[in-house]
Amino acid sequence: MYLQHLHLRNFRNYHDQIVQFQAPKTIIVGDNAQGKSNLLEAIELLATLKSHRVSRDRDLIRHGIPDAQVAATVAHRYGTNDLDITLRDRGRRTIRRNHEALRRQLDALGSLNAVQFSCVDLELVRGAPDCRRRWLDSLVVQLEPVYAHILQQYTHVLRQRNALLRQSKRESASVPPAAIALWDAQLATTGSRVTRRRARVLQRLAPLAQHWHQQISGQPETLTLHYAPNVPWQEDEPQQVQAAFLTHIHQQQRAEQQRGTTVVGPHRDDIDLLINDSPARLYASQGQQRTLVLALKLAELHLIESVVGEPPLLLLDDVLAELDLQRQNHLLTAIQDRFQTVITTTHLATFEAGWLAASQQLRVAAGAIAPLL
Amino acid sequence: MAAAIVNARHQVGLCQTCFHLSAEPVCSICSDRTRDPHTLCVVADSRDVIALEKTREYRGRYHVLGGVISPMDGIGPDQLSIQPLIRRASKADITEIILAISPSVEGETTTLYISQLVKPFVKVTQIAFGLPMGGDLEYADEVTLARALEGRRELL
Ligand SMILES: [Zn+2]
Repeated sequence: MYLQHLHLRNFRNYHDQIVQFQAPKTIIVGDNAQGKSNLLEAIELLATLKSHRVSRDRDLIRHGIPDAQVAATVAHRYGTNDLDITLRDRGRRTIRRNHEALRRQLDALGSLNAVQFSCVDLELVRGAPDCRRRWLDSLVVQLEPVYAHILQQYTHVLRQRNALLRQSKRESASVPPAAIALWDAQLATTGSRVTRRRARVLQRLAPLAQHWHQQISGQPETLTLHYAPNVPWQEDEPQQVQAAFLTHIHQQQRAEQQRGTTVVGPHRDDIDLLINDSPARLYASQGQQRTLVLALKLAELHLIESVVGEPPLLLLDDVLAELDLQRQNHLLTAIQDRFQTVITTTHLATFEAGWLAASQQLRVAAGAIAPLL
Repeated sequence: MAAAIVNARHQVGLCQTCFHLSAEPVCSICSDRTRDPHTLCVVADSRDVIALEKTREYRGRYHVLGGVISPMDGIGPDQLSIQPLIRRASKADITEIILAISPSVEGETTTLYISQLVKPFVKVTQIAFGLPMGGDLEYADEVTLARALEGRRELL
């Protein structure tokens, strides 16, 4: 897929900005806080309906304006799609595809696929488990859009169940068995959907990550992605996984009552990243960690391509300069011209020459984008 | 507690039988003798009764819960008119209970709770929602609702 055209109105610090993408690689140069990341955020919003930076729509709207719009034209193998999102200071957003409002916003997912790579991802190896969960979840959503709904439901059940546990802790009374059983069942139903899908996607991602890791490191190291669910289960079968949840909940009953919160479920999952069976978190050097994250990103790109049937976009937010020339080269070879890439950076000096050749170069300053001269 | 809330509701204009909005102690639906007294349609809110009535497809009676179970909002089963529903359902003349509660997380949890309670003595069906995810009955068009009523399935 190819993002041809992007139109931002009152989005973040942009007033009314059109960007035409004219080459497989677009490099956007600018100082900090001029709007580089905001542009990638707009693409992220179209691809995932979310921003990893903020959760409220009003934070995406230019200050003092009631609404903002992000519109895009995306060329697919089978034709062109227009997609636009109107964000409102007050009220729900509207999403239209080919100028027709979508009744279910989640139906917009899949119109544009993108893999992001930013400094946040460099934390994937050493960071807390929640960065790895967030990373995996956003990949699953791209592959299986209904997962966005599944995850929403799970989060909702979790909040309700926590409210119940918190309330009984506050009142120093145990939760009535009938009331908690109801939410146990919902946690098992929705939680098992989350964990099964996470496991399935990781299983498909693992061999790709291993392949790319070997390519980039140039060494016979083996990268293993090991899913570490909070509720372990064996057979990928709904009833069995749900039963595993209920057993686990039963075992943790006292702990949950004491702490007044849910300690069982996929909100406590982790993904172990192992190199030659040792946790990368403990043993990998900074260079090795970058190699690992790069391998994960390349694996994501190729997995999305094989599932969706078209190469997704790659968004490199201020991260390319963080990679040494050798890793930049590996990335370049791996994506070629097949994956449309949008790159932001503060300076071009540290870029490998291959990145600059035949790329479209733009400059952003104070929310205005113009060709780099 | 439950009784206190139910009593309070009476004062603000709810039917004593089904808890639908009503100026009279018994609403016009409950007092309509032409309507099938053996079927109860359970909804969360009076607005859902109004939406279903517009379809003119349903000729039974209603039971309005006054909300859905939501611990975050401090609403448990006792804050809803579930006990009165059990009392109505346990009477021999009710043959079917149709649960028509929005398929939100809270709605589904409420459906689950009620069906567990009334299944022992009455046939329970669930309206077949072809509604937008997390959608409300209110916003469903009449054709969708009528079709949903027709396609209801028994809860096992
Ligand atoms: Zn009535």
